[in-house]
Amino acid sequence: MTVTPAAVEEEEEEAVAPKKRLSFKYPFEETEMAIILGVIAAIVVIFTGLPAVIKGIGLVCAILWGNDSVRKTSKYGLGTGVPSIGVLGTGYGFIGALMGLAVIEYGAIPRLGIYPAALIGAIVMGVIGLVSGYFGNDEKYIAMKIPHLIRAMGELGIAGTLAVLLQFSIITGTLEFGEVVTWVFETGVAAFIFIFTAMGMFHPYNACLGPDEQRERTRMVSIEISGLICIILGAAMFVLGRGLGAWDGISLIIFGLIVWAYFYVKFIRACMNECYATVGTGMITTLD
Amino acid sequence: MLVIAFLAFIACTFEDIESDIGSQSNPNSQVQLAAQVGQVHRFFNKAISGEPLSNAMYCAVAGTIAWMFLLKLEPLVPDAPWKAAVVAIPLGVAGAALIHMIFATTAHCGRTAAQKRFSQPIYLDVFYGHLLPIATHGFMTTFCITSIAYIQSNVGTLSGNPALNHPFALPLLGFIWGITVGSIGSSTGDVHYGTEREFQDRPFGEGKRVVYHGKITRYAECGIRTQKDIASFCAKFGGPCTGMTFGLIILFENWRTLVGMMLGGFLPNLTMGGDMAAIGGIVVGLLIVAAFVVGNVIFVRWVRAKCGPFVGV
Amino acid sequence: MDPIIAIFIVVYVVIGGLLASLGAHLLPVGGAPAAMGTATGIATGTVQIMLGAALTGLFTAANVATFTDSLWLVALSGAVGATIMICVVMFMANILYAFGCGVLPISGRVDVDPVTKESQKEYKTPQTDGHGVPNVVFVSGTMGGFFGGFGGALMYWTLLNYSKFTPGTAAIAALSIFVANAILAAYNIRGTIEGFHDPKFKRLPKALIASLAVSLLAGIVVVLATIGLGGL
Repeated sequence: MTVTPAAVEEEEEEAVAPKKRLSFKYPFEETEMAIILGVIAAIVVIFTGLPAVIKGIGLVCAILWGNDSVRKTSKYGLGTGVPSIGVLGTGYGFIGALMGLAVIEYGAIPRLGIYPAALIGAIVMGVIGLVSGYFGNDEKYIAMKIPHLIRAMGELGIAGTLAVLLQFSIITGTLEFGEVVTWVFETGVAAFIFIFTAMGMFHPYNACLGPDEQRERTRMVSIEISGLICIILGAAMFVLGRGLGAWDGISLIIFGLIVWAYFYVKFIRACMNECYATVGTGMITTLD
Repeated sequence: MLVIAFLAFIACTFEDIESDIGSQSNPNSQVQLAAQVGQVHRFFNKAISGEPLSNAMYCAVAGTIAWMFLLKLEPLVPDAPWKAAVVAIPLGVAGAALIHMIFATTAHCGRTAAQKRFSQPIYLDVFYGHLLPIATHGFMTTFCITSIAYIQSNVGTLSGNPALNHPFALPLLGFIWGITVGSIGSSTGDVHYGTEREFQDRPFGEGKRVVYHGKITRYAECGIRTQKDIASFCAKFGGPCTGMTFGLIILFENWRTLVGMMLGGFLPNLTMGGDMAAIGGIVVGLLIVAAFVVGNVIFVRWVRAKCGPFVGV
Repeated sequence: MDPIIAIFIVVYVVIGGLLASLGAHLLPVGGAPAAMGTATGIATGTVQIMLGAALTGLFTAANVATFTDSLWLVALSGAVGATIMICVVMFMANILYAFGCGVLPISGRVDVDPVTKESQKEYKTPQTDGHGVPNVVFVSGTMGGFFGGFGGALMYWTLLNYSKFTPGTAAIAALSIFVANAILAAYNIRGTIEGFHDPKFKRLPKALIASLAVSLLAGIVVVLATIGLGGL
């Protein structure tokens, strides 16, 4: 017994989805969303004394921005696969975070936990991303000839750096290098941050790859992965005893659980409604 | 050290079978292509990413959760730290298995929904019926890798000499071995799945031509083929071969380090001859590499003599 | 602050990045077609096999770095570790191809194997691009693994001993710079490459220039990080 793909359900789904986002027009949506998300994430990075839930929201924004940038570039066919761009974004993120942590004491107000110099790392990484994009796209060099590759790689650099810096500040509570090394790199949580940030950036597009890929569905997966990161980072905070107290870690776990559950259910339901058919079981069409 | 090699063998065997049950990475491109050339199928299209990265993710997550439990549990049993490990490692791996299932579901649903115009439906029995096998095989792989990482990062404390501990932490070691296991399983085991089992109604003994791409074997020994049929086939040859690859690599790595240490007089008391130990390890390693190059030349010559030039169209 | 050490850090990072790029070009990558017996080489992606080799090398190098301080020994151990891994993988892939699927190791890009002078053309399946790992590809892969492992271990040693990072930090930082270079090389290769006999190999200088630029900037970042964190 098949479930007929009712046209009504599809229209409902598409009418609901734009309401979830602000109602921009499609071609401009990407740039405007990038600016909004970038500004939110950048502001949250500076204030490291905030409760973890707000940093979690900043993390969702940064990973969403990175994912959108990956999606824009990969649409044109890279030849080497989507995961490489995600890993590239995270690699850039770590180098940029290192840069940001190095200049952290300029303009810092440690008592209030404000470290504006971390953004210098993001800007430097954006420059490096632009340089590598230039070499990648230009005729005399690697000549990938993908439109907007330069801008996308610059965006990846900044988004990656912001995401990694936010995760550092969630676990450690501050952005001082000694503390970060002890609690993040030496304990091995850095490996977890590396792979999950990379996954958050490339898995949504890789999982929804196909001719009928829709931007709304892809973004839902990205937010859902950020929820997963928040759950495990919250558990790590709780175990390590960092943050503003025990409730800080637990609140991040609950926040992550809610975000993940809501968007996961929404995504699966959207997929089952928007695909060709969802059948309990059935035969396949035989070709000769 | 032999325990590590044995665990490595099991780990990679299960990694390969798991990637066959879930149809990941390179042969999955054929499963994706099949719908696009009109061949609707009942395969589980799990396209998380390449295997190295996804295995790295499961092992890093398992390592992190296990490490968190170890931090909390080890102070409770200070004289027998292995008791804490026996509890912590399975819990960590269970968490990683849950995350594995989450990613598998998003990947399958997302990809099938994006193939709407090729009339590829989501078969719910394929969807539900494969989740548990994927999780189980993934559990075995991640369990072995996490155990290896635990032993390696604590080999000093376990044998009473803390200086022998590996300087990396447990999740980082899990990450490294996850990537290695994934890249090995992807380059060796997937060949068996891709070349042989996916195109089983094509002639044996030739590379699969470009015109065959997408036209995979959709009917099985009895009924329509799903991943469960594939796993039982590939477990006979592809799985153990892949396991042997990783086991050999770990064996050679640890063995030559140990031989180097013993040659340099480093092992019983760790204070002298650090340089000689390293040189010994390098020389043994170069000998192994030379042996493999010569072995490949002989093997290629033997296979060419046995099979002969290409016959047929 | 010692400017000589700062210059050394930048130089070593640049050399490590260039070697990573070179290693990625030498490694035989067949991609998805190789898993179906349609192309020669290892049946996985460039980035992924490169990361696997470099990380095995890094693991061995970290082990050796705990008891020795010499640059050459640590880097060579890393290189040999990576080479062993690639050799075993290619050899077992050949065994799987031969016994599991009945295909021979044949190159699709040249008519005569440059290393052993065996002819390739009449053994190749028509309408494919070669299959398996023939001898010249095996040698090319060995060299690729050697250079890649050397570059990765070199960067790790520099970060550990000159910048005074801790092992965990040095490992992840070296990995990030390695990743950036390897992916730029993967873009240059655009999917599949057979080794140094492949015509695509002539595109190597362009990737090296891009790699040079990115590694130079990354090296400057590392120097700034070292100064800022009180390492020098």
